[in-house]
Amino acid sequence: MAIVIQPYRQEHESAVQEFNRRLQRSGDPNLVFSQSCVPRWLPPANDNPVWNEFYVAVDSSRPELSVRGAYGLKQEALFVRGKGVQRIACYHHPLSEGIVDRAFTSVGMLLARDALARQPYLYALGMGGSETPIARMLKALGFSLAAIPFYFRVVHPAKFLREMQALREKSWRAMLMDVAAVSGTGWLAIKTAQAVASSHGEALNFAVEEVGEFSDWADELWNRAKENVSAATVRDARTLRLLYPANIGNNIATKIATTRHLRVSRDGSAIGWAVVGIRRKDAKYGTMRVGSIVDCWAMPENAIAVIRAATQALENDRADLIVSNQSHRIWCSALEKSGFLKGPTNFVFAASKKLTELLRPIEENRESLHITRADGDGLPVNF
Amino acid sequence: MSTFDEVRSIASDIFGVASAKLSADSSPDNIESWDSFQHLNLVLALEEKFGAQLSPEEIEQMKTLGATAALIDAKLQASSR
Repeated sequence: MAIVIQPYRQEHESAVQEFNRRLQRSGDPNLVFSQSCVPRWLPPANDNPVWNEFYVAVDSSRPELSVRGAYGLKQEALFVRGKGVQRIACYHHPLSEGIVDRAFTSVGMLLARDALARQPYLYALGMGGSETPIARMLKALGFSLAAIPFYFRVVHPAKFLREMQALREKSWRAMLMDVAAVSGTGWLAIKTAQAVASSHGEALNFAVEEVGEFSDWADELWNRAKENVSAATVRDARTLRLLYPANIGNNIATKIATTRHLRVSRDGSAIGWAVVGIRRKDAKYGTMRVGSIVDCWAMPENAIAVIRAATQALENDRADLIVSNQSHRIWCSALEKSGFLKGPTNFVFAASKKLTELLRPIEENRESLHITRADGDGLPVNF
Repeated sequence: MSTFDEVRSIASDIFGVASAKLSADSSPDNIESWDSFQHLNLVLALEEKFGAQLSPEEIEQMKTLGATAALIDAKLQASSR
């Protein structure tokens, strides 16, 4: 075996299909890498500020072209307060044949090291928790790990309790015990907890408008509010148009899910925005219709108005449950003051040594990092 | 202590297997705990112990403990020249 990691090109596509077939024998349907060398989401294009690129690990000891691993890099720009804008990348979808064949145990680390060599300012997000193989590997490579808080608001408590208890979701049940919800008083307990949480609200006065595409007003908001975060991937209008294109809902061929883009204003002036959507069906949530506050942006004093606007939009869209992952204390507080409860999180942010250095002091800055479900590879379908 | 003994001692700690049960032929095929994650830990531990960075090509040569020790020996000799 002699592994060479190189950009994924058309000539590799049939070998990637073979690679996928071998991984599928493990029985896990999620072990699939893109069959196309051109990313469907954020393909590289001239001058775009954010794009995806794929790499494959080719086994050059074989006469035929064999792929033994693959990964993606989402190249993007990070604003860091006091330090300007730094190019960074998200390491995502790493897959190694070592998962199904011990002859390839080294491929996983070769992929991660190759990604680090290409972009030392590297991060990964999600990963299913801090004890998964990928999270443990990144930690061993010196990445710092931090859990991103998870919030939820139950719109239909009876359905929520029925589904959660039927699913016997351990982490959720443990949390529900905290609000005494597994007893017959569960419905009341959730309503009470949410009502207490949302009673902190002040008089809010805002208007909401659904927009197709982000335009200049989003630039103004970005520039006004960015000094309130220690770091955030750039969310100017140009980047937002790439992340949330106007025709996203019609793009059925690419299986891109529908997101709605909300412009929140007061007295005619934009005060913030939110991106919301109904998630794909997920066995974890049974038959519930799960809405997600995917992304948001505003000055701190307007965060509650934006969260309320997003919540209303999802409730109007018949969500049974609304979820959101937010790292910034302002947004966490806005969720709590809007009737959201804190739940168990498996959404983890891992930053390479170089990126951790850039975010230093990370312990102090962690709660003012702006990380949401829109960061990493969550879009366009896993928000 | 020979390089192989040092490599075996490190591998014993990482794989949780008694040194006496590890030989030059020990590999992911016959050591249950030698998976991708522990392979990474072995590489990192060897790099720290011997003060050398292993290239992707060298990491791929680590198919057995014997091959790993031979690789480390070759690197140490090359660096002392």
